[in-house]
Amino acid sequence: MITLQKYLRQSATYKVFSQLFILFADFLDTLGKIAQLGFHVLKCILKGEIEFKELLAQCDRFGVSSLPITLSIVGMTSIIVASQVAHEMVKQGGGNFVGMLMTILIVREVGAIMSGFAITSMIGSSLASELATMRVTEQVDAIDVLGVDSIRYLFVPRVLSGAIMMPFVVILASVVGVLLGAVTSDMFAGLTYRAYFDSAGLGLYMKDLSVCILKAIVFGATISLISCTCGYFASGGAKGVGLATTKAVVWSFIAIVVWDMIFAVLFFF
Amino acid sequence: MSIEVRNLVKTFDDRKVINDISFKVANGEILAIVGFSGSGKSTVLKLICGLIPNDSGEIITSEGDIAMVFQYSALFDSLSVADNIAFALRERKDLRKKYNEKEIKDIVSQKLELVGLKGIENKFPSELSGGMQKRVSFARAIVTKPNTILYDEPTAGLDPMSSTLIEDYIVSLKREINAASIVVTHQMSTITRTADRVIMLYDGKIVFEGTPAELLKQDTPYTKQFVTASLEGPMKMKA
Repeated sequence: MITLQKYLRQSATYKVFSQLFILFADFLDTLGKIAQLGFHVLKCILKGEIEFKELLAQCDRFGVSSLPITLSIVGMTSIIVASQVAHEMVKQGGGNFVGMLMTILIVREVGAIMSGFAITSMIGSSLASELATMRVTEQVDAIDVLGVDSIRYLFVPRVLSGAIMMPFVVILASVVGVLLGAVTSDMFAGLTYRAYFDSAGLGLYMKDLSVCILKAIVFGATISLISCTCGYFASGGAKGVGLATTKAVVWSFIAIVVWDMIFAVLFFF
Repeated sequence: MSIEVRNLVKTFDDRKVINDISFKVANGEILAIVGFSGSGKSTVLKLICGLIPNDSGEIITSEGDIAMVFQYSALFDSLSVADNIAFALRERKDLRKKYNEKEIKDIVSQKLELVGLKGIENKFPSELSGGMQKRVSFARAIVTKPNTILYDEPTAGLDPMSSTLIEDYIVSLKREINAASIVVTHQMSTITRTADRVIMLYDGKIVFEGTPAELLKQDTPYTKQFVTASLEGPMKMKA
């Protein structure tokens, strides 16, 4: 005879709710780990426990090697936006504002967000899989047994390099985006470069640039911290490495959007 | 006394992997922990070196470092052999300023010579055979002059000659640094060649404690089953 408890366990509603509960518990667990390791990294940085040789290597990895893909993605996004917007605005008599609109859009949003997504896909996934592989092959355990703080050794240069290099990447990507916006507006809407650049600086204030740089610092540190944390707590073999990498990418994407909302509310409302 | 374990308990997912075990290892002594796969042998090592916390019980170790040689060597694959061995000397807070680069280089050469691998400083772990990787991990483990060395299946996956070589190193290291050593293994040759005493774990408990000679006598159902590698006996393989 089937008991009520057994019936409930077999029901679809129970399964959906139990799955949701597991997801929620995992969400809180991951959030707690990110916060805990984030504080540990911050403590190490404030104490000056930084390996400069490793920091330079990570800066090269974060900033230089990711640049082609980041510039391509931000550039192409700008071309898409300009091709949609410029023609329509010129037609409606607003051609003089295309440069301004594109610049505000790129500096405030597109540059940082698209760079964040590109960096997550390229660097975040590589950081997560690197640390996850180290975890499943007991290399992280070996660091701890040798008496070295594995979080300081692995996290500090990676998180710091994210915070340092991301602003340069975002600024460069934004410049490329604005320039490609001008080229596209000229090609698709016949808007002169002069008209585009005359209006480009009109809507842009120092606050926009400051927020853009601050946002880039936060995005860079967040991507590195999340990716390192997901890798650091990986378990199992090859499957565990894959799961950690996927988790790092998903969490970083969500974190970028959440941070972006926070910045929008704090600075532009 | 260098290591004393008292009433150690560790539970994973409601299953007592280590269930109230106690033992001691003196300086210059090698204790082999044997048992079938999943009996909790490696967990004991991880508990002793602090990689995982125990639920209850005590682990008392003498002052000084604990080193561990991992089952699959766990060498840092992005670092050269020399950088692997010098890792603790460069990265550990208390050792970082103690040695200059010239001294570190000398120590690395000396340790590599000790494990019979002189001249491979610039090679990377991926360029070495399994036996060589294991010997490099020995060199890395003893660089901090530990007084306790833990070996997690040091001869697993090695050919018989490499196993003999590793077993000889374990014994010579014991003489060299007078460390208390624990060797987790299920290879009979490693037990008979290296160990002074043996404990056998089953279901998280110690079911035999004695010398290698006593283990080979097969006086108890547990030792008989282990030595003859029989499926019949008190120890059941878990599915």
